[in-house]
Amino acid sequence: MIEVQNLSKSFGKLKAVQNVSFSAANGQITGLLGPNGAGKSTTLRMLYTLLKPDSGLARIEGFDIAQSPLDVQNHIGVLSDAQGIYERLTTRENIRYFGQLHGMSEQELEKRMDELIIMLEMQSIADRRTKGFSTGERLKVAIARALVHNPGNILLDEPTNGLDVKSTRAMRQFVRNLRDDGKCVILTSHIMQEVSALCDQIIIISNGISTAQGTPDELLQKTGKDNLEDAFIELIGTDEGLA
Amino acid sequence: MKQVWIIFQTEVLDNIRDTRSWVIGIFFSALFGPIMLGGLLVMIGSSFRKDLDKTLTLPVQNPEYAPALIQFLESHNVITVPAPADPETAVKLGDVNVVLIIPEKFSEEFSSSKPATVQLVLDSSRQSAAVNILRIETLLEGYNTYLGKLRLVVRGVSPEVMDVIAMDKVDVATPQTRAMILLSMLPYFIIFGVFNSSSSIIIDSTAGERERKSLEPLLINPAPRRAFVFGKILSSFPFSIANLALTLIGFGLVFNVMPLEKYLGMQFGLNGMTLIWIFLICLPVIFLASAIQIVVASFTRTPKEAGTYLPFIALIPSLPGLALAFFPVKSNLWLMLIPTFGQQLLVNQMLRLEPISVWNVIASVLTTILVAAAFTWLAILLYNREQIMFRGD
Repeated sequence: MIEVQNLSKSFGKLKAVQNVSFSAANGQITGLLGPNGAGKSTTLRMLYTLLKPDSGLARIEGFDIAQSPLDVQNHIGVLSDAQGIYERLTTRENIRYFGQLHGMSEQELEKRMDELIIMLEMQSIADRRTKGFSTGERLKVAIARALVHNPGNILLDEPTNGLDVKSTRAMRQFVRNLRDDGKCVILTSHIMQEVSALCDQIIIISNGISTAQGTPDELLQKTGKDNLEDAFIELIGTDEGLA
Repeated sequence: MKQVWIIFQTEVLDNIRDTRSWVIGIFFSALFGPIMLGGLLVMIGSSFRKDLDKTLTLPVQNPEYAPALIQFLESHNVITVPAPADPETAVKLGDVNVVLIIPEKFSEEFSSSKPATVQLVLDSSRQSAAVNILRIETLLEGYNTYLGKLRLVVRGVSPEVMDVIAMDKVDVATPQTRAMILLSMLPYFIIFGVFNSSSSIIIDSTAGERERKSLEPLLINPAPRRAFVFGKILSSFPFSIANLALTLIGFGLVFNVMPLEKYLGMQFGLNGMTLIWIFLICLPVIFLASAIQIVVASFTRTPKEAGTYLPFIALIPSLPGLALAFFPVKSNLWLMLIPTFGQQLLVNQMLRLEPISVWNVIASVLTTILVAAAFTWLAILLYNREQIMFRGD
């Protein structure tokens, strides 16, 4: 469960995020849709505590992101824009590192790793050093280590960026499975089709401001359009930076 | 604290697998000093001894004008040979070190008891000729005094009237202290090696981690930022400690196994116990080096930028050690308060077999640790800022 109220963040004169409010429920996929540079990643970075909001507040599982960042970090799994993994470590070693930092016991950790390796179909690369992995394989490692502590809230920044069609489909299915497990999933995207296909709730962000939010049906009603893509363009005011 | 250990472990594993980097880093910087210093000692030692022992070959122009002088020189282990046609050019080109020219007027001036002029053609800027020139000058002066005294005796005057001052040299230099000038460079190599060996590890785990985009995911893990700073600083320790140990073993081998005695005619006070003491005294420098470097690497945008700064960082604290070779400094408590300089003075004292003050050791160790702790604190402040992640963007 994630609640965001009037979150704002500026970098110098640039107002990256202004008064963004929404709430994301468990068992739902919430999509932040907006063109590149709209403030989606900045919003997410505030939620995963690496940026401090200038004003407003956000709670994850009731923990304030500014007051108790460590508690927040314990309850989130993050696939950030930066997905670098340690190339000289194996897949398992990469995942184990993050699991250990989450304070998992060795038994618990090994069991969870086996689960994730099966879930993400990484059996063949589990004990290989990650140098030379394909984009899809790297992404799997990054997801596995983000979810190793089985967090209730999952933040995904452009999760299908750079993936081929097959991997994109697999990724979407994986996200749906997380929702079906009752997780609270937030993802950002500038791809209208992706948001339409995946999200139960959509938040439109443009120039740092959230211009609309609701279920796909609510957005259609609000704009009077008969398809979501037209509705998005109407709400954002332009189709620039979208795909 | 458990998280510090986890970060330390993983960083060390990651760096150990980067075999090429640390093997080259550790071995090159550890063995550079001993090989360089050993080589210098042998070179200087052997050229010095060769020149002293050798019969000196002296080109002389017109030896026939001063047969007595030539006889005097030859009785002092000098072999005279005919001078080259153009002595000045020959000396300038380095074909000969020094040429003695006896002018035609020599015998005339000599017989009339006037100062008889001889000419020495030499190049005072050529270091390799210095020993030969000094020997010739000393011999000519000796001949001068010898004949002068004989002339006084002939005139019925005691030759002692010429000796205004009787010089009696007491040389306090022990065999060890004569080689000290070179040996004073040793602390420089030690400090330089320590700083150099940690720099690649620190760059890789800070600026490198940011460039590979793994810093952001790492910092989302529920650990205080200080845990990451401590873990990363500590992860360079095994490599710098190995480097320091290897450097000292290298120096130990150079000074104990290489036949320096044959070349220099002296032995050095660099035994196992001294090496262990030097090792212990330099341990805090390892902490200081990593802490300074993590601060600098946090400021830089890329590993490449960090790689241009850190060698200079390594140079600054090691330079005083090099200066010690030329400007000897007496150790006192105040100087011990300067991190790295105190260690270099102490190492120098140990090599000179001078007594070491316990207070100096404590002062040097404590201030180094304190300054390193201050840099660590600064690094934690930097790691608590948002910019730590996004500097490269």
